[in-house]
Amino acid sequence: MKRRLAAISDTRAFPWLLLLPAVALVFAVIIYPTIAGIDLSFRQMRLNRMDLGQGYVGLRHYIALLDDPIFWISLQNTAVWVIGTVILELMFGLVIAVALDYELPGFRAMSVVILLPWFLPLVVAGNLWALMLDSRLGIINAALQGLGVIGGFKAWFADPNWALPAAIMVETWHGFPFFGLLLLAGLKGIPQELYEAAAVDGARFWHRFVHIQLPGLRVIIVATVVLRAISLMNSPELLLILTGGGPGRSTQVLSLYAFQKAYREFNFGYAGALSVVMFLVLMIFSWIYVRYSNALKAD
Amino acid sequence: MRRSPLERIVNYLIAAGFTFFAAFPVLWAFNISLKFENDILRHHFTIWATPATLSNYIAIWTQSNLPALMWNSAVTTLFTVVICVFTGTLASYSLSRLQFRGRQNVLLFFLVLRMFPVVLMIIPLFIIMRQANLLDTRVGLALAYTAFLLPIFIWMMKGFFDAIPLELEEAARIDGCTRWGAMWRIVLPLVRGGLWACAVFIGIAAWNEYLFALMLTTSSGSRTWPVGLQLMVGEFQLPWGALTAGGILSILPVLALFAIVQRSMVRGLAQGAVKG
Repeated sequence: MKRRLAAISDTRAFPWLLLLPAVALVFAVIIYPTIAGIDLSFRQMRLNRMDLGQGYVGLRHYIALLDDPIFWISLQNTAVWVIGTVILELMFGLVIAVALDYELPGFRAMSVVILLPWFLPLVVAGNLWALMLDSRLGIINAALQGLGVIGGFKAWFADPNWALPAAIMVETWHGFPFFGLLLLAGLKGIPQELYEAAAVDGARFWHRFVHIQLPGLRVIIVATVVLRAISLMNSPELLLILTGGGPGRSTQVLSLYAFQKAYREFNFGYAGALSVVMFLVLMIFSWIYVRYSNALKAD
Repeated sequence: MRRSPLERIVNYLIAAGFTFFAAFPVLWAFNISLKFENDILRHHFTIWATPATLSNYIAIWTQSNLPALMWNSAVTTLFTVVICVFTGTLASYSLSRLQFRGRQNVLLFFLVLRMFPVVLMIIPLFIIMRQANLLDTRVGLALAYTAFLLPIFIWMMKGFFDAIPLELEEAARIDGCTRWGAMWRIVLPLVRGGLWACAVFIGIAAWNEYLFALMLTTSSGSRTWPVGLQLMVGEFQLPWGALTAGGILSILPVLALFAIVQRSMVRGLAQGAVKG
């Protein structure tokens, strides 16, 4: 067996042979389900109404989407949720990465602690913050009240105006270390000579940041923003845990809406159509964003 | 690089501020978990839990099904890691070390896979798993996890393979080693550290996962702890002291693993994403 393997390993098929298990798995758990999901979006499929059959209904779900007010609200909330969170996380990440780039004593230990929220499960992170923001038990209400910022106790997640901002805050806490980590790695890759040349020219902190660090980080910023936007758009977990879309529809996002259509109403066809639209939005966003950032590079 | 004293102070303040921001919620929850229920409801500002108690931990461990939930999570996590390590290591070795036509395209393929919406896959996965009798099983859940973890694993692992000089392998080949021999005896031992880091990263992600687990498990026989804990919060309305104790217990494995491999894992994450 071992000798056979050794003999095969010198043939031209070897690279593909090594790829085979991974590619086969990916086809089984990603490609096929995704295609089946797209197919589903053109079908009637209600798990609780199997009597309706599973025939094709053409674009019916997509047309229904256009008339669905919740879809439009979700789309709008998704934009606020993704853009708001990514901007906040990027800002936090930039600040902490620039600060930690100095390698002062104690920074290594601090950076490990700062990374911690990224590795915490959303179930724990979400409930932790729900508890901290709780109107009776929460320490944040107590602190804000003590400082005189708010008069009475505030139920953040019960207020339609505050539920989404509060959720963005929680997600930012969870996600900013991701930006911090990758931007810090990027900063370490900037050659020291650039700083030294700038120091000779008498460049101050702000100059260093704008003329050396930001340009050096541009590729990483583009990549991290795309990756993060994708994962935020795709995962309804935190909102599912914190609010379930409420109060009203104030925190309803597309991924959550699709999830609820599938698992509360068992309307798989409609949920499939929602997911396909989400996928398209994601593709268009990524395409425009990457193109736009490349255009900037050409200047 | 020289820094002015003012810059140093500002940097310390920023770093300390973010450290506090990151750690405070966890420390606060730990504090709550040590309090009696009456004390939790009564006052907010006791820094140390006085009087402290372990009763919340004992309660959640003995009176809920948390041990069973965590056991299910552990088994699922182990399956996920084994599947990813086996298939992913072979694939990333091939993508990093071997020259063949279409290599760039395969790499891009694994990157694009990360864009596929989970919600879109999860519905057909549910149907497929039901037909294959894998619904509500730990193996089925682990297979579903590889859908979003395998591409990340391959990209991270490729970074570790790339870091090993090609000359080592070439020398072995000149000495009459086959490709397989060079991979098995020369390269794999050298990436051991990176392999551990990637495996731990995948393990933590699988341990924490909520959405797939919520949809693909329905009974207590395969339900994982995030789903179980969320049920305790939402439907059973368990006391907060016990819940925070449960939360702390369930993140202990994450903290331990993370502490062990954080350095090489951080490097792998940074490499994987920077190059991607």
